[in-house]
Amino acid sequence: MVKKLRKVISIIVLIITFFLLYFVQSNFFTWFTIGGIQPNLFIIYVLMIGLFAGKKLGIILGIIFGFYIDVIIGRQIGISGIMLGIVGVIGELLDKNFSKESRVTIMLMIASCTAIYEIGCYLFNVITLEMNLEIIAFIKILLVEIIYNLIITIIIYPLIQKAGHALEDTFKTKKILTRYF
Amino acid sequence: MYKNKKKGIIGIIITIIILVLLVIFTNTNGNQMSYIENICNVFVMPVQNGFAYLKNKITGNDSFFADLDTLKQENEELKQKNSELEQSLRELEIIKAENETLKEYVNLKDKYKDYSTIPADVINRDISNYSSTIVINVGSNDGIKENMTVIADSGLVGHVISVSSNTAQVQTIVDTASAVTSTISTTDDTIIVQGTLDDKATLRATFIPTDAVVLQGDSVETSGIGGIYPKGIHIGTIKEVVNTSNITDRYAIVETAVNFTKLNTVLVITNSVSE
Repeated sequence: MVKKLRKVISIIVLIITFFLLYFVQSNFFTWFTIGGIQPNLFIIYVLMIGLFAGKKLGIILGIIFGFYIDVIIGRQIGISGIMLGIVGVIGELLDKNFSKESRVTIMLMIASCTAIYEIGCYLFNVITLEMNLEIIAFIKILLVEIIYNLIITIIIYPLIQKAGHALEDTFKTKKILTRYF
Repeated sequence: MYKNKKKGIIGIIITIIILVLLVIFTNTNGNQMSYIENICNVFVMPVQNGFAYLKNKITGNDSFFADLDTLKQENEELKQKNSELEQSLRELEIIKAENETLKEYVNLKDKYKDYSTIPADVINRDISNYSSTIVINVGSNDGIKENMTVIADSGLVGHVISVSSNTAQVQTIVDTASAVTSTISTTDDTIIVQGTLDDKATLRATFIPTDAVVLQGDSVETSGIGGIYPKGIHIGTIKEVVNTSNITDRYAIVETAVNFTKLNTVLVITNSVSE
């Protein structure tokens, strides 16, 4: 009963945090840019949920958050939801194969997820909106965005670890990780 | 353990400083030197001012030892006056800001008086690096419909792509999915201007007729073809013409008239002249 209540409270906190991140992203990071390029806080956030709380919550919240972003500001409803859902699944997969106790592995996870999310969204838009494919310009923007996301990850890494372990305690049952022996 | 924690905090602080510097340097255009000068001044000038103050006091020592009570009283009165002045200054600033916004609306209305328009404020901007849409604070309750043209004081902004009861989403002309049929005002040649990922302040003009003479500084306006944008709305000016080996592939860079990073007020055209 207590565990269930803890889970419900955690989910409410995760949703409130999403809204806070939305306001930071749309008000602060639209002008605090590196050469006009913004970071994407939602990728970091959903990946963290997938990593620490499991893929089920990662997919569900990823899809809900992405869908919400699409409705509010997106051009095509659904693509951010699908891609953030995929990021949630990747979080769980990465957790099974890598240690999340290292700053470097977390950074590599963020970099790869940013690339997967943005490539997916961009290609979807190119196909559905019949846009010109501008590969070099896209790669340039993507690289800066990845660097920006990594800088933010370095800054908030202690917070990620603390909040992540609290999430892990709530949502994941403790297992003996035999692969470490 | 303690040492590691300390190291971690120092690392985070250094990263934050690097991030702030990166943001500042990548967003300032050519004024870096005066910026650095200002920063340097922050460290030196207060001390310098202190020395100058001391020097002045010593040289004019007869006034330095004036009646302290009178000075204190005078100081209090000045403080009082200063706070009153600050208060009225604040009020004036508010009135000035309101006046500026109203002026902007009036200017816009005068400029596009042939069209029936609704003023709006930009309340949200795209959070993606690969598209450029904005959200304005008028919606279907105010009579806004899809495909209505959105303009600003200096020119074309874009068109409405979705509407809710109190807000509307606008696809700007610098969006990579946007393509506007337009004309070069000096020659009347029809071209297509599209948004690019490279720069959010420029457009790429393609399908330039082979016999067209395109010059730097030529004005680009909407052609009225396509059914969304009315004819004659200013888009921007030709910044550069890029010639290729095949003349049919040549293109031009168009500098937009509207500064999209500072766009706060817009007008939505609810009917065109033809209606």
